[in-house]
Amino acid sequence: MTADEKITLKLPAKSDYLDLIRLTLYGIATKIGFTYEEIEDMKVAVSEACNNAVLYAYAGRLDTEPHGEMEVSFVRTVDSLSIVVKDEGHSFDAASVAQKAEPLHGKSIQDIQAGGLGLYLMQALMDEVEVRSEKGTEVVLTKRLEKSGEMA
Amino acid sequence: MNQNEKFQLRTETQEGRCIVYLSGELDLDSASQLRAAMAPLMELTDRELILNLRDLKYIDSTGIGIFVSVLKARHAKNAPFEVEAIPPGIRKLFDMTGITTFLTKS
Repeated sequence: MTADEKITLKLPAKSDYLDLIRLTLYGIATKIGFTYEEIEDMKVAVSEACNNAVLYAYAGRLDTEPHGEMEVSFVRTVDSLSIVVKDEGHSFDAASVAQKAEPLHGKSIQDIQAGGLGLYLMQALMDEVEVRSEKGTEVVLTKRLEKSGEMA
Repeated sequence: MNQNEKFQLRTETQEGRCIVYLSGELDLDSASQLRAAMAPLMELTDRELILNLRDLKYIDSTGIGIFVSVLKARHAKNAPFEVEAIPPGIRKLFDMTGITTFLTKS
């Protein structure tokens, strides 16, 4: 892939397709030259973004209505890979979720809860995370390609 | 090859212990399978409940969320619960989220 090439998957916002998204990410990230560990990190981050689209974007949809879609784009820049996860459903309140995005360190069992861990993991596993909510939600996850992997 | 592996679980009941072996990819799609399997087991307060993750290839906040709810339910019943044989990649996510200390004895 050369700079700024883009590959886009458009699929129903259903959990059945999450494995397909991870497989596609694996293929693209391997081709670009990311390490196994970086790819594992990206798999989790991308799944977290897609989980939100599957769970919240089209919540309340009737079974008779057509299923909502999500779009996952892989954008290669000179020194990074950005994965853009987009839906056209109800956008979630990114600002309030971001405030709750914290790990469980130092808490008691009674106080811990899983809410907010998804966004926290995205931030911890990627170099940059951007959430835009306008018509639907767009999450941009960016991982930089380490220089050490480049040929001299 | 890095091929996706279907999530599977197997339960082994011994005297005083119930061990659930998880394998493959635990994501949003397979989460309901784990939740359904854990529901009756969480009630067995007379034995230790153990999740063995040796063959688990993938987890995200969905799976971690289930572990947190099992942990809290067991804690409320004062019943033992532990997660064992955590692969390094999964351990990394547990450490990041801060759940490791709640799930392991040491």
